[in-house]
Amino acid sequence: MDLGLTEAQEILKTAAADFVRQEYDKDTLIALENTPTGITLELFRQAADLGWLGILIPESYGGTDRSLTDTAVLFEELGRGPVLGPHFSSSVLGTLVVLLGGTEAQKQELLTGVAQGTTVLSVAVTEPQYGWLPDTVHMPASRQGDHYILNGAKLFVHDAQAATHLLCAARTALPGSDPGSGITFFVVEANSPGIEIRTLPGWMSQMDEIRFDNARVPAANVLGDTPGNGWDILEAASMGAIPILCAYQVGSCQAVVDMSVAYSRTRHQFSQPIGRFQRVQDHIIGAVNHLDAARWTTYEALWKLDSGRDARSSVHLAKAVTSEASLKVCAGGHEVHAGVGVMREYGLTLHTQRSRTLYHFLGDARYHRRRLADALGW
Amino acid sequence: MDFEVTYTPEQETFRAEVRGWLSENIPADLTQPVDPADLTLEQYHKLRELGRRLGAKGWLYPTYPKAYGGGDLAVDFVIILEEELDRYGLHLPPYYDSGGRLGGASIFVWGTEAQKQHFLPPIFRGEWRTWQLLSEPNAGSDLAGVQTRAVRDGDSYVVNGQKTYIGSLYGCEMMWTIVVTDPEAPRHHNLGWLMIPYDLPGIDVRPMELLTAGGEGGASPGLKHTIFFDNLRVPAFNLVGGENNGWQVATTHLELEHGGGGIVRRNRIVDQFLEYCTTTKHNGVTLSHDPNVREDMVDIYIRSEINRLFGLRTYWLSHAHQPRSYEGPQGSYYRKVTALEMAETMLRALGPYAMTNDPQWGPLQGLLEHYQRAAVVGLHPGGTTDIQKVVMSRRIGIGRTAQEQAGRLR
Repeated sequence: MDLGLTEAQEILKTAAADFVRQEYDKDTLIALENTPTGITLELFRQAADLGWLGILIPESYGGTDRSLTDTAVLFEELGRGPVLGPHFSSSVLGTLVVLLGGTEAQKQELLTGVAQGTTVLSVAVTEPQYGWLPDTVHMPASRQGDHYILNGAKLFVHDAQAATHLLCAARTALPGSDPGSGITFFVVEANSPGIEIRTLPGWMSQMDEIRFDNARVPAANVLGDTPGNGWDILEAASMGAIPILCAYQVGSCQAVVDMSVAYSRTRHQFSQPIGRFQRVQDHIIGAVNHLDAARWTTYEALWKLDSGRDARSSVHLAKAVTSEASLKVCAGGHEVHAGVGVMREYGLTLHTQRSRTLYHFLGDARYHRRRLADALGW
Repeated sequence: MDFEVTYTPEQETFRAEVRGWLSENIPADLTQPVDPADLTLEQYHKLRELGRRLGAKGWLYPTYPKAYGGGDLAVDFVIILEEELDRYGLHLPPYYDSGGRLGGASIFVWGTEAQKQHFLPPIFRGEWRTWQLLSEPNAGSDLAGVQTRAVRDGDSYVVNGQKTYIGSLYGCEMMWTIVVTDPEAPRHHNLGWLMIPYDLPGIDVRPMELLTAGGEGGASPGLKHTIFFDNLRVPAFNLVGGENNGWQVATTHLELEHGGGGIVRRNRIVDQFLEYCTTTKHNGVTLSHDPNVREDMVDIYIRSEINRLFGLRTYWLSHAHQPRSYEGPQGSYYRKVTALEMAETMLRALGPYAMTNDPQWGPLQGLLEHYQRAAVVGLHPGGTTDIQKVVMSRRIGIGRTAQEQAGRLR
């Protein structure tokens, strides 16, 4: 038993923390928050140079092939920013979908580009009947010669605006008795004709709508050799991706707790630091408890995955706990900060917005609680 | 990270040794009651005998040096011991010995060599069962405000006062307490820490009638007492940590009482509740297939998993000698608060069945009925939930830059 980080993880953590602190100051993040991609080419290239875009990609495709736990250590630091942009969509979820589902040629082509930062992936699954169960995927892909024709809409897609390639789930067959059957992933160039990507307005960031209007996709762009097994690929990729998303949220929660503790020391009311008031302490202690619950459920799931254990129930547990923790920690932060906390320039709302934007990604707390009960065989 | 002990061949050999030894030394007819208040004297004697046998092997308090009656065992070996005992529903020590667990640690940190030689071996070998005497009628959360007085008289201290919520069924051999040694000295510098043999004259022990007794971690006590000291004479040798240094000594056992040692045990009540729900039908439907009960089960499972992970994390911090801060009291706070929430959720899930230990109608032989009471009682032993939050705040440094340190465990 050893619940500490390895030396290599400590080095990665320090490097990532330094990078985030130096390159992603508060003003930079606030300026990027409501941009379509959430990142600049320069920042993205730096991440590629540091080897972070290919962190999960095997060396044969130009990556550094680190473990899921290593990747989580990086994403926890990114979450502290919170650094926006397609890091998770492209280098984690998209990468795992290609790794698990793609042909050798697709892996070679796409993953080499992802590691270099020249290819950016976004996974487009959810539709106007939003949800993370296969029966919410309706968009048809109809075969026409050596092409498929896509028509319909994908909704609440993360980081589509930043993507060079969409990994788009569509129906090549109606579901049989298994609602997951008949779903196929297509590798779609984001700038091809018949595709329109729009950033959704409101209190969310880098969340997009994609409209497909007779978009023609070559049959060779079906991910993998056989159509129809897309949902299995997504399920398998999600198992690895979810705890890394959780680690990002853990980092965000940690930043909010740190901000709140610092503020409790410096803000004076009634002639004393507000942190001397037990009501204020309660908000921070509640946040710390949520943070630590999220942290340890997340890292236990990662350990199970990396050591080849059955991790399903742990992954669902981690996401159920972490999604909820992220909301609650931000709420605690706002109670402590009061008016200052809602000034955009202060930076707390960057985290609050992320806690909402990521709440449903790959399934919300309610979804994962149900899946947890199923995984436990109840 | 590694959340499990990876056992070496040497450790697996140890496990086989432990397993064989336990099967030979745990009486086949050793049973424990669902409600700890029903522990019989015969059962108690069997548990004490097991404790003495474990103690003779250095397995009762296995992390302490052999020179003091411990086993010099590293953490991974101790986990093997705990795991193997857990198969019998037992842990270390196998009977209520909260005073030995907390007091032993305190003497180990703060005692003189002569005191360690005198007090530790009988505790660690299971020859003594020890009670801790902390709360008084007017000193609960404000423990440093105790009023029991100890006046030096020659080679003795003369003790007068009253302690409450003490001990367990069937007495003990040794007790320890915090007393005022200098009423003129400032707070926290006015106390002494005394070991008191149970059989001295001037000790009056009266049982209390409580909803149930327990909540301190480890084996349940089954009964609590109020104790009166009337001109009790205690040898001055028994003052541990020196004159007016009792609060320093107390920081060690308070750290443990506040959860600083961590826990690696599963919550057997939760395990049994969940299994009950998956195997019991109500009105023709398996409880776990009722959507409301299923939600309740998830609530309980998530809370118990977080408790398990907090306990494991703190266990690792303390046994791997990592820096500790707020983690102990956090685990204690979370365990107490969620125990009550889980009990309420069980009540919701099962209805009035959860409230009866009737042989016909009570689920799990009355285990859940007892848990309903124990979860309420368990909120306060070892520090109220509010006190745990106060300690957490100081250590996190909320509103202050000088962060309080966790109590010494070594």
